Amino acid sequence: MSRMNAMFKKLYKLVLVVSLAIFLFIVFDEIHNLDNNSKRYLSEHYISEGVQETGAINIVTSVLYDYRAFDTLGEATVLLTAAAILSFLVPLGKDKMLGTTFTMIVSQTTKFFIPFLAVLGAYLILFGHLAPGGGFVGGVVMAVIPILLTITYRVEFSEYKFKPAKKKLAEDIGAIGFILLGLVGVVTGSNFLANGQANFGPGNTGELISAGLIPFLNLMIGIKVGAGLAIIFNSLIKEK
Amino acid sequence: MMDIIFNMLMIFLVITAFFMVFTKDISTAVIALPIYGAILVVIFVILQAPGPAIAEAVIAAGLTTVFFVITINKTEY
Repeated sequence: MSRMNAMFKKLYKLVLVVSLAIFLFIVFDEIHNLDNNSKRYLSEHYISEGVQETGAINIVTSVLYDYRAFDTLGEATVLLTAAAILSFLVPLGKDKMLGTTFTMIVSQTTKFFIPFLAVLGAYLILFGHLAPGGGFVGGVVMAVIPILLTITYRVEFSEYKFKPAKKKLAEDIGAIGFILLGLVGVVTGSNFLANGQANFGPGNTGELISAGLIPFLNLMIGIKVGAGLAIIFNSLIKEK
Repeated sequence: MMDIIFNMLMIFLVITAFFMVFTKDISTAVIALPIYGAILVVIFVILQAPGPAIAEAVIAAGLTTVFFVITINKTEY
């Protein structure tokens, strides 16, 4: 009986996962093969008109920063709140992390890695409207730099290079700049965070400075995500 | 040829994900996470998104694994 019970327990998890997978497969198959096209008019509109309306080649970016920019603002506010609460709650102290001391190879390799990470993060942020990527991914890559410094050297060195006050300032600039850029749409006589519908043109599609507000919004989100993630990591590693 | 490689990689992705969920040792699961990320990098390259591929390599191999290792270290597992 107990053997049956053990076998049932083993099968139980497997059946749960497989049934969830089958359910999701059926749901996505059903969505993909909808016969009635009137239910998909929004995605049809995004795909066929998105490039002309917003000027961004990357349709995901055009949905994220133009059609649904208000949701992105909420998403960014969640991250700001998390970073602020964490840096407020976690006490200041020494890190009690790993007892290991790294060899010279690790510290030298870290030193050579950091410029590549900076270039990659800047590329992902600035070309967010032309190629896959965007502010969130680029910000995370930028945040890897202080995290690498924290892991390889100590948290003191990382906070000596990137001062916490400056990181907080950068995050505030990102959060406030996003809202101020949204107000540009109001000033030009349209809605909040309007880009394609506003009166300034989207520019030549395919150039670096085009698509209206989207590159600047990407830059703000990138600064904000990078600074916020670095603050969160450095706060959590100092926790006892 | 490319389709076969792509489908094989997808199947390996599912196998790695199942391995991560059902393995007993928690550190084995953590080390299986970068393998999942590496397969995802190749899939991104096949889908013609080289930028996110490099970012995924950085994030999966560097950030996520480090987060989990430090968490296990701090909770004294």
